[in-house]
Amino acid sequence: MFRASTIFLPAFFLTVGTAQQPSVSERPDAQKAKVESGAIERGNQIYRPNCGFCHGIDARGAAGPDLARSLVVLNDIGGKDLGTFLRSGRPDAGMPAFAMLTAEQASDISAFLHARFEESRARRPMDVNAIVVGNAAEGAAFFKGEGKCSSCHNPNTDFKGIGAKYDPYVLQGRILNPRGGRGGPPIKPSTVKVTLPSGQTVNGQLVSVNDFSVTLMDAAGNRRTFARDNEQPRVEITDPYQAHLDNFLKMTDKHMHDLTAYLTSLK
Amino acid sequence: MKSAPYCSWALMAVFAVTALAQAELDPALLGKPPVDAWPTYHGDYSGRHYSTLNQINQSNVKNLGLAWVYRANRSQQGAQTGGSVPEAVEVHLGPGALAGGFLKSTPLMVNGVLYFSAPDYAWAVDARTGKEIWHFFWKTSGGDHIGNRGLAMYGHWLYLETPDGFIVSLDAATGKERWHKQIADVKAEYFATTSPTVIGNHVIVGLSGDALDVPAWLESRDPETGDIQWKWYTTPRAGEPGIETWPDAFTAEHGGGMPWQPVTYDPQLNLIYVTTGNPNPVYRGDLRKGSNLYTASIVALNADTGKMVWYFQSSPHDTHDWDAAQVPVLFDMNIDGQPRKLVAQASRNGFFFLLDRTNGKNLVTTRFVESPNWFKGVNQRGEPIPDPDKDSQLGGSLISPNNGGAANWTPPTYDPETELFYLNTAQGYEIHYQYPIDGPVFGSSGHTSQAVGGIENSLRAIDPRTGKLRWVHKYAGSEWNPTRPEHLGGLLSTAGKLLFAGAPGGFWVAYNPENGRQLWHITFDYDVSNTPITYLLDGVQYMVLAAGDAMYAFRVHN
Repeated sequence: MFRASTIFLPAFFLTVGTAQQPSVSERPDAQKAKVESGAIERGNQIYRPNCGFCHGIDARGAAGPDLARSLVVLNDIGGKDLGTFLRSGRPDAGMPAFAMLTAEQASDISAFLHARFEESRARRPMDVNAIVVGNAAEGAAFFKGEGKCSSCHNPNTDFKGIGAKYDPYVLQGRILNPRGGRGGPPIKPSTVKVTLPSGQTVNGQLVSVNDFSVTLMDAAGNRRTFARDNEQPRVEITDPYQAHLDNFLKMTDKHMHDLTAYLTSLK
Repeated sequence: MKSAPYCSWALMAVFAVTALAQAELDPALLGKPPVDAWPTYHGDYSGRHYSTLNQINQSNVKNLGLAWVYRANRSQQGAQTGGSVPEAVEVHLGPGALAGGFLKSTPLMVNGVLYFSAPDYAWAVDARTGKEIWHFFWKTSGGDHIGNRGLAMYGHWLYLETPDGFIVSLDAATGKERWHKQIADVKAEYFATTSPTVIGNHVIVGLSGDALDVPAWLESRDPETGDIQWKWYTTPRAGEPGIETWPDAFTAEHGGGMPWQPVTYDPQLNLIYVTTGNPNPVYRGDLRKGSNLYTASIVALNADTGKMVWYFQSSPHDTHDWDAAQVPVLFDMNIDGQPRKLVAQASRNGFFFLLDRTNGKNLVTTRFVESPNWFKGVNQRGEPIPDPDKDSQLGGSLISPNNGGAANWTPPTYDPETELFYLNTAQGYEIHYQYPIDGPVFGSSGHTSQAVGGIENSLRAIDPRTGKLRWVHKYAGSEWNPTRPEHLGGLLSTAGKLLFAGAPGGFWVAYNPENGRQLWHITFDYDVSNTPITYLLDGVQYMVLAAGDAMYAFRVHN
C-alpha cells in the first residue's frame, strides 16, 4: 500500500542500516504490559499442547482461527481480557473453555502470542551474505565481456579488495547505482556545456540542473547560474556514470546475481 | 441610542443567516462542473480535474501571482477538539513524518470558504483572504499518520477520516464535532487516509492498512446518523464468485485490497468506481496462489446497494505492492465514430487502461513508461500477466517501477478539448528480497528492498484512443533519483487552454496542453503536495494549492 519514502539517497542509507542492525519498531498505539523474560517461553509451553492443535503451532490458524488477526489477542494487555475469554471459551463455535486457567498462565500465553507477532511485524533483519546466490565465474565473464564493466573498472586496481570493502547488499546496490550507498568514494561530478543564444559556450562541472536553471563551476572556480526557458540555453551533460544509467533497462537478475557473486569474491 | 441595539440585532440576524448560508452546500452543485464551488475531492464526480473556467488563460498566465498564503495552524490552542481517547497518544512518525505534517488534502471550496485536512486536523479558511475561520484537532489513539486526502461535505456537515480509523462529522460553520463513528479497529493495523465522497444520501468511506492481512471493504454511511447503509468487501467470501481465485476462503477474507483512494461516480449509470489496493500478504504470492480478486482492481458498484456490477483487475496476483488505487477517470469520447462512456486509469504498475464504464470491457492496454519489467504479457481481458520469476527472491529481484510506482494516487487530468490524459510519471528501480523468517508470516514479513534510484521523472500526455504518448516532457536533472510521482502533487487542466503540474525542485508549472511548452512557473520551498483546485469568487478566478505545510492562492494581477 504505502511505504515510507523511497527518496533515493537517504532511503539507501536507511535501508542498509536496517539490514545490518536488528531494529524493532514499536507501534505508536502499543500499550504493552511489562514482559518478564521467562514468560514468553512458559507461554509457549502452555500454548503448544493446549492451543496449537486447533490454532497452529505458529498461531496462524489450522482448524481454528488465525490468532494473528484476533482482536481478542491484539486488544489484550497482560492476559486480562484473554484470560476472561479463555476461561469461558466459545462453546457454540467449538472453542472449549479453559476454566482452570490461572491469571499467570493467561498472562504467559498473552506474552507468547504478542512476542510472535511483534517478531514478524518488526521486519527481521536479513542476512546480507545470504543474498550471494550467483555464479562468480559467470559474473567475471560478464564483467569482462557483455557487461563492458572492464572498460572502466579493473579487479586489480580500482576494484582490488572491493569484496572486503562492501558487504554484498551494498555491492549489489552500487552495481546498479554507484552514486549512492554507504562508504563509497566521492561522487565524480558530471561536466556540462551550456550554449548561450549568442552561440557562446560555457563549460564546467555541473552543480545542479532543473527545467528552469543550470548551475556550474567553471575552470576558474566561479559558480555560474543561467536561467532556462523551454530548454534554452541548451545544456549538454556528460555523466561519468552514464553506462550505469543505461544499464537500468538492460540489467537482468541473472547478471545482477552473478556480478554480485564475482565482486564479493574480490577480497 | 435607541436604534443602536435594534440595528445591531438586525445586523446580527443578517450575519447569522449569512453564516448559515455560507456553511451549507447546495446538493444541486454536486456532480456539476466546478465553477464557483469545488464541492468534492475531484471537484465534480468524474475525476477529470478539468475546469471550464478560462479567465486565467494562455494570454495572461504570465501575470499569475500570489493572492495569499495560509500556513497550517497545528496548535491545540483555540482548536475545536474531538477524539477517541481523552488524551492523544504520542505519535512516532517514521520516515513518513514529513509526509504526515504535509498538506496532501485537496480543499473543498463552498460559499467562499475552503475546507481541508491533514492527519488529525481539519481547517476552514476564508477563500478571499486566506485567514483561518476555525481549526479542529482530533485526539488520536494511534494509527499510521502518512497523510489525509481531504474532507467531504453534505449540507452543513463535513466528514473527516482519522488515522485511528474513525469518521468524524463536523459542523462546517464552527468546526464543532457532531459525532464520530469507528470504521475499523486500529489495533488490527487499520488506518484511514482517504477523502470520503458524498453521493445522494450516502457518505462513501474507504480505509487503509496492509500490515496484518485483515479484511478490506468500502462502506456507505448515512450522512445524518453515521450509520452503515451497506458494505462491499473487496474480496469474495466462501461460495461467492471470485473465490476460485484464492486458495481458500480464509486466505481470501484476509487478503487485503484496501480501497484507499476516493471514488468517482456516474450519476446516469448510478455506478461508483472504486479502486482497490494490494493483496495480503503483500509480497508472498506463494501463500495466495490465484489472481486474488478483487484486489488491485477497478470495480463498479451500484451506489444504492453496494452490489458489484463489473470489475477489471489492473494487477492480477500483485506481488509488488502495485495497488490499483489510482484515480478511475470518467469521460465520454467518440471511438470509431461511436459515442462511448469510458473510464481510464494510469496504474501504479506502469500500465494505462481504457475501459467501457458501462460494462468494464477493456478497449486499450498500453505501458505509459518504458521501464516496467515485472510482467510477461497481456491476457485476453487486457490485464497484464505477472512474471513469477520477478517475485521477490533471496538473491534480489530488480523491479521497475519502484515502490513509488510509475504513477500513484495523486490525480491525473483529462482535458476534453485536447482529448488527452496527462500525468506525472517516474521510472525508478528497486531490488526486492524475500528471506526465510522464523514466526508467523503476514503483511510484509521476510521482505526487504533497496531503492537504487532510476532513470527519470516526466510529464506525459497520453492519447486514450490508442494509449500512445502524444508528448513527453522529461524533467531536467531527474535522472538517478526520480521523485515518487505522488510527491509532485496532482494535475489540473482548464478551458483557459492550460495544464498545471508540479515538477521536481518545488516548481509549479503551466503548460500548453497541446505540446508541453512551458508558459509560466513558480518555486516553493517544497514540492507541490496536494492537487490544485480553481474557482470563481467575486468574478475573480483563483487557483489554490498546497506545498508542504502551507496553502497558496493565485490570481492574475492586471
